[in-house]
Amino acid sequence: MIKPNILPKRILIINRGEIAARIAKACRELGHVAIGVWTDNEVQAKHLEVCDEWVRLPGSTNAETYLNIPNILEVCKKYKIDGVHPGYGFLSENTEFSQILVENGITWIGPHPEAVRVMGDKGVSKLFAQKNGIPVVPGSTGVVPTIKEAIKIANEIKYPILLKAVAGGGGRGMRACYNEEDIHANFEAVQREAASAFKCGDLLVEKYIVNPHHIEVQILADKKGNVFHFFERECSIQRRHQKIVEEAPSPFIGDDEALRQRVCTSAVKLAKAINYDSAGTVELIMGEDREFYFLEMNTRIQVEHPITEEITGIDLIVCMIQSAFGEDLGIPSQDWIKRTGHAIECRICAEDPITMLPAPGTVTGCETNFPQGIRFDNCLYKGLIVTPDFDPMVGKLISKGILRSVAIRKMIAALDGLLIEGLKTNIPLHKAIMKNETFAKGTYSTSFISTEKPQDHVDIEMDFTSIYKQIAGIEARRMGL
Amino acid sequence: MRTYLIDNEKNEYIIDLTKTTAHSADMVEFEFRTIKDDQEINKELIYVRKLAGQYFASTDGIKWNKLARQDSPSIMLNINRVFKLYRGYKPSGLGGGDESGLFTQMPGKVVKIFCKIGDNVVKGQTLVILEAMKMENEIKSGVTGQVKAIHVKTGDALDNGILMVEVEPEE
Repeated sequence: MIKPNILPKRILIINRGEIAARIAKACRELGHVAIGVWTDNEVQAKHLEVCDEWVRLPGSTNAETYLNIPNILEVCKKYKIDGVHPGYGFLSENTEFSQILVENGITWIGPHPEAVRVMGDKGVSKLFAQKNGIPVVPGSTGVVPTIKEAIKIANEIKYPILLKAVAGGGGRGMRACYNEEDIHANFEAVQREAASAFKCGDLLVEKYIVNPHHIEVQILADKKGNVFHFFERECSIQRRHQKIVEEAPSPFIGDDEALRQRVCTSAVKLAKAINYDSAGTVELIMGEDREFYFLEMNTRIQVEHPITEEITGIDLIVCMIQSAFGEDLGIPSQDWIKRTGHAIECRICAEDPITMLPAPGTVTGCETNFPQGIRFDNCLYKGLIVTPDFDPMVGKLISKGILRSVAIRKMIAALDGLLIEGLKTNIPLHKAIMKNETFAKGTYSTSFISTEKPQDHVDIEMDFTSIYKQIAGIEARRMGL
Repeated sequence: MRTYLIDNEKNEYIIDLTKTTAHSADMVEFEFRTIKDDQEINKELIYVRKLAGQYFASTDGIKWNKLARQDSPSIMLNINRVFKLYRGYKPSGLGGGDESGLFTQMPGKVVKIFCKIGDNVVKGQTLVILEAMKMENEIKSGVTGQVKAIHVKTGDALDNGILMVEVEPEE
């Protein structure tokens, strides 16, 4: 009889939906006790099915439940919790919370609070990255008061440049300039626009990255100073600055192994510099010229982690838990980590497939008929009510193929085999993206949704056959078939 | 059996089950047609069979696809359109009401109410702000007239199809 070499821990999963289920599975696999939470807003919380114990969080708003630090701390004490896994969102990057846990002798399954503090501040993290040899998007160090000054900086960082309101955001108060004349023509206009929209006319000058690619590197570190990377992901297909399709490896980096190496080792270097000790992601922006710049570091597990797991065969959540309790990750060296094939993830969201706006509702039926090898991390069930209180993502469909084209083929078949009735979802949009020529070539950038407009290729004609089939199914059951 | 599909814009499709033939204990053939604006616009045969506890549907009785099991759904989707589904009856009171009544089109929370009873409002004026899925939606009056009743208050969490404000149209 082989004895387990570690004592079972009691792990509280302070999250919901698919990620809570994913973490619970990892806990049980390791022999730990998975303790899930639920609120009165989620009477049929499906993730509880894979937990060992359940705790109800009182209250009706997120502030009273998933974000209520004093109450969660009470729960930890009452249920003798050894460790807390935050998942993503909610308290996953809250240092006040992780600090309190550590002070109470409870293990935080995530990075040490100092790393989160440094990386959580946009300004501080950029300076830190720069100090550690990762370039940041070049630009002025402060407010640019005059046209003359703007032209001087533009000549230093090279055109095109972006005139950007200090207080701007959401695409407003921004204009691209490709030469000196553009700056003359636009400077005062952007100043006026900024002054009226944000009550502050101060401008910055920044290098304008044309058709940028969102590239990120998965990092995993233990408490002994070992930091590994698990290659990159490309997440350039976004709407409202949120990712909807991700893939690994990046088709833009493609066969350029030297570039891949540079990207991944810079990320490791940054993580080492902050003594990183958990799972994390270094996000980069890469221009058409293949120059890359630091964007931010996410100090948590990310939604799209499964595609990295699929190409490397590493269970990131398991490793994250092992790392938190000071155990060995079982990874001998960086070179030992290999990747094979290609993985794609489509985020299945309760939203209108054309406008991409959230569409809460109730799932009246749900069935899957997938090709071999499909992974579906989800929290779907017949009767699920998607409320406006939570994120509209209801599942993640992940396909893997030995080639990118195989992964796309499998994804198209999987999307056809994913039936969600009664709830508007973006499945039709994903089908249009998978069949898009630019996507197939792998040459898309973050402007994909706005330039290729896959939403315009979604067929919205009445599909009578599908409606008849549904009604026929209902009638057949009524007949007692 | 007649089924009515009616969407938010009052588009109405009438789906008639015109013929049912039971081929065996586990296979049935249905004939459906669709009527829109008093015209038959579509007609198809659908086969349903039960195999190993699962329901499958087919248009030719040869190639089959799994069906998602649904009990008595009150809604049905077509890509981006949500239809209310009424099996065997057409609901009364549809049409007219929405013109002067503001109903929720999705569940949400009332953030702000910009009118009070007796206010004169114009068509297109924002009367309520409803927060749904972390976004604020302006709910505008469909008619010009006077606010007759307000059925909600700030902070209320509302379900889909709830009457929020009633406006008496100008004569």
